[in-house]
Amino acid sequence: MPEVIAEFRHITKRFPGIVANDDVSLSVMKGEIFAVLGENGAGKSTLVSMLFGMYEPDEGEILVRGRKERISSPRYATELSIGMVHQHFRLVSNYTVAENIVLGLEPQGKLFGFIPYVDMKKANHDIAELSERYGLKVNPEDVIEDLNVASRQRVEILKMLYREAEILIFDEPTAVLTPQEIEAFLKILQSLRENGKTIILITHKLNEIKAVADRCAILNRGKLVAVLDVASSSTDDMARMMVGHEISFTTEKKPAKFGDVVLEVEGLGVRNVAGYDAVKSVSFRIHAGEVFAVAGVSGNGQNELADSIAGLVRPSGGRITINGRDITHSSVRERIEAGVAYIPEDRHNVGLVLDFMLRDNFPLRQYYSPKFSRNGVIRESEFDGYSRRLEGEYDIRSSQGGATITRSMSGGNQQKAIIAREIDMQRPLIIFMQPTRGLDAGAVMNVHRQIIAERDRGAAVLLISLDLDEILDCADTIAVIYNGSINKIAPAQELTADDIGLYMMGVGKTA
Amino acid sequence: MRKFTLSCLAIVISLIFGALILWLMGKDPVASYMNLLQGSGLMEKVKYSGRQSMFTDFMSFIDAMTPMIFASLSVALALKGGFFNIGVSGQMLFAGFTAHIAAMFVPSRVVVVIAGLLAGALVGALIGWLKSRFNVNEVVSSIMLNSTLMYLITFYINTFYINPVSRQSKSIVADARLTLSGFRWEGLKLDIALAFPLAIVTALLLQWFIERTTYGYEIKASGLSPNAAYYAGMNVNRTAMLTMTLSGGLAGLAGVSYFCGYLASIQPGSVPSMGFDAIAVSLLGGNNPLGCVLASFLITVISKGSVYMSSRQHIEPEIASLITAFILTFAACSAILGRKKRRGA
Repeated sequence: MPEVIAEFRHITKRFPGIVANDDVSLSVMKGEIFAVLGENGAGKSTLVSMLFGMYEPDEGEILVRGRKERISSPRYATELSIGMVHQHFRLVSNYTVAENIVLGLEPQGKLFGFIPYVDMKKANHDIAELSERYGLKVNPEDVIEDLNVASRQRVEILKMLYREAEILIFDEPTAVLTPQEIEAFLKILQSLRENGKTIILITHKLNEIKAVADRCAILNRGKLVAVLDVASSSTDDMARMMVGHEISFTTEKKPAKFGDVVLEVEGLGVRNVAGYDAVKSVSFRIHAGEVFAVAGVSGNGQNELADSIAGLVRPSGGRITINGRDITHSSVRERIEAGVAYIPEDRHNVGLVLDFMLRDNFPLRQYYSPKFSRNGVIRESEFDGYSRRLEGEYDIRSSQGGATITRSMSGGNQQKAIIAREIDMQRPLIIFMQPTRGLDAGAVMNVHRQIIAERDRGAAVLLISLDLDEILDCADTIAVIYNGSINKIAPAQELTADDIGLYMMGVGKTA
Repeated sequence: MRKFTLSCLAIVISLIFGALILWLMGKDPVASYMNLLQGSGLMEKVKYSGRQSMFTDFMSFIDAMTPMIFASLSVALALKGGFFNIGVSGQMLFAGFTAHIAAMFVPSRVVVVIAGLLAGALVGALIGWLKSRFNVNEVVSSIMLNSTLMYLITFYINTFYINPVSRQSKSIVADARLTLSGFRWEGLKLDIALAFPLAIVTALLLQWFIERTTYGYEIKASGLSPNAAYYAGMNVNRTAMLTMTLSGGLAGLAGVSYFCGYLASIQPGSVPSMGFDAIAVSLLGGNNPLGCVLASFLITVISKGSVYMSSRQHIEPEIASLITAFILTFAACSAILGRKKRRGA
């Protein structure tokens, strides 16, 4: 009989305007990989965060190792041997791996027997040993900012292990990894399980659950739908329960009809903030009615490429033209008017003013136009009417309609709002930068359908994504970016996922 | 609405705290608070000396409140745009001084107002320019300018413009002063704050400007999220300049209604503490122009009424400053509380 290590009993958690968890009861067994599956805003992060002491439940109780606990802070959760890796890593970027791991629990030495100091030698040694034991390859003396995402994630895992965590919580751990890295990560999970650790995995990627999880809880709109035994359930069943209805996994699309060239990029170079060449002599063209997708591992110049076309950073060389008009040195606003719509990756800091009401976020890039203002005076009724129209047409849900503070909305609905705003401008070029990051399966399908619909209306679409499935699903033409250069451009049907994976790693550096 | 509730809560808690202290000192809290209202001309005093009445008290209360309204509006606008204008004091001083000089050449109230507005705006613009051109933190530059301006002006006053008896600057000529001092009416001697209607109109205009114009929209967006504002195609640097220039201009109006209205001269060697109090008044008013008017009213009741309270109850007028300090502390807490609550959602 397996032992229950953590148990949720009738947990209810409310936030203003929504019930994040509604009477959820489930138990996690010692030594299993327990997945929590659900759409965005289904309440999975909230539920699990309560185990880590980030929130306390409004109703119900949490039991750890059979004892009722009031987990009031992450610190107390750590005392209960519970650790969590957040979606956004919490590491000090100019500290070394070892410094980050021991932070707060530094091994102390005594200089001359009485002056305390941090014994980094011992720390480095301990961490090297720990990383060996669990097969998590890191060099304790590397500085975090020099590491890639996958290594940083290993550091986060080691941080939990160093604190002797027995219950390891992962919040969307694979959202930022490449296919190859995901595979390695899933192996790590399995080895942690073999070492007797209990793992709680929050995700909405069904194939990962299928690959490693023992059991899986499915949440829909805050309610627990089912707890399934993964081995005996199909991914189709899980998906259906998650969204509450059937979904198909590929977007249907008609063959593309290319029109004239809309965007032409020639020899584009962009330097990043550090003065380093992030984009090197990139050239491509996108036609009207074409989805041009750029695949690549995170941090290979995608952000700089998108930002430089949208005008947020200045190129260091090359030419960008749109419908024949040179916009290389134009301002953001001039580009909006020349026909660039842009869905940026960072929806919180760039795409939206989070503390604005929803209705004030819709005209964000057109507020100065005669539709929304006259002689510098805002037309309130247009703001309201526009908000109502977009909320209806694009199914954007919020607690108080246009008057909702955008910050309080779920991530999926925030993204819907950005996409609605940019699509509705009906520009000849639309840049989608990581449009479905962190969205659930239902919402992803919806975005893909919108991308195809934009293509069919005759827009040129530049889709930049780290998600290969997304690229294969939507693209007419695929480009692979590696280390700031485009490695390969080919029609979508000529490339397989494996080919792209190889180009993404910098193999086959011809073309 | 939430903000309003929190501000009211801050006031109530502070008054209770103040009452507690008065009670511990062996004084009557209710009577003391009534003295505050009486001193501000909001309640009838027991007796009045010649040419005085509740109405004259009320008029001098309005006179004291006028610069506070402008100063808190200055802070509120800057905060909307994401700037912490801690230099209102220096801007007030510079504006008051400039207006004094201008009035020496053209003794006219219009000239005083315009000179003050421009002088304040100039200092504000300098802070905005330093921020947008060199990314100098506005807190640092404005507080440094407070000292710079104060010493420059002190030097000038002590050298060329001193009244050797009062050790203050010379007084502004009555024709240019924004307060009609000792105005005879129905046997009373009134101080009439001519700038008060301007303060109310400015508050209303500012409310409209922030909520209903594209400039206001740009200021708010840049204040809440500079990255998003830039993405939206706004000229974030120009907006920063605009915000600080306007904020400085409002501080300038506070300066002239203080140094060329409520007072007639400038005390060398110090900056008016009103510029700092205004930060808290603005917070208490929820950084909302109309809220600032209400908060200025309340804080002025306490500061203006304290003279009468101290003479009636034989307590130090500093007690009033203490109550004000309580209110401002709690208001600052509630501002954070309000923000936290929203973030939790």
